[in-house]
Amino acid sequence: MADIPLAQGMRLPHVEIEITQAMIDRYAAISGDFNPVHVDPDRAAASPFGSTIAHGCIPMEPLFQALARAMGRPLLPFGTRVSLRYRAPARPGDRIRVEGAVADRKDDAWQVPFACLNQSGQTVIDGTCLVPATDGQGAGPA
Amino acid sequence: MTVNPLTTYEGAVLGREVCKGVIHVTQSDIDDFCALFGYDDPAFRPDAPGGAVAPTSMGLTYGLRLGWEQQVFPPGVIRMGDENVHGHPVHAGDVLTTVLTIADRFEKKGRKFLSYEQVTRNQDGQMVCSITFAAILP
Repeated sequence: MADIPLAQGMRLPHVEIEITQAMIDRYAAISGDFNPVHVDPDRAAASPFGSTIAHGCIPMEPLFQALARAMGRPLLPFGTRVSLRYRAPARPGDRIRVEGAVADRKDDAWQVPFACLNQSGQTVIDGTCLVPATDGQGAGPA
Repeated sequence: MTVNPLTTYEGAVLGREVCKGVIHVTQSDIDDFCALFGYDDPAFRPDAPGGAVAPTSMGLTYGLRLGWEQQVFPPGVIRMGDENVHGHPVHAGDVLTTVLTIADRFEKKGRKFLSYEQVTRNQDGQMVCSITFAAILP
């Protein structure tokens, strides 16, 4: 098993995505989630959100990509655990970036607190990743 | 389509299988996902040694898809947060099976919550993704 190349204090690289309605529409087709609040601007305008909002997984994308880049690999290691809370909706036109740094190594996992922020600095999602310290592919949760 | 009564606060039975869904993953699916989010690693391409894999977040997306396809989540439900575990990589050609159960049910500050658990496995029974999320019911 190989060590995962993270170290305490390492910051996640800059990854940013721009959310568009076209992106949301395409994601709806992939995910099967055609909730009008995502794909129907007229109905979404009449909702408490006042506009369409992105599916929850879309503003998570910078986190996945930044973690993978930090480790120099295309995929997250087997057994990576992500705990997160949705703090605010992401909307078409938003630019979402991730900020985070490796905090500690505990129980053979790197703890990486993170926040996905919009262009105003507002937190859209925050949480913690637990990344196995060694590549245990095939030996994690059954 | 009507909401499955097993996914309502009153009708939920903790731990009981609510529904199951199967997805066949194609290279075209992987290409679409990569194009959408700008993934360009050679590991995602069809000529990758050992065959293409899908980005980790694609496994998450497919893990959630069952809930939307089968209208498991009542209209107006608000997803609060996730606890996701990522397992074996998804490959082009994989057949993914997701099973959804209700993991918990509770009230807090006058609001009703359900915790949904969706576990996705590949054709070899290996865990690809486990998603647990709590939601406020309308």
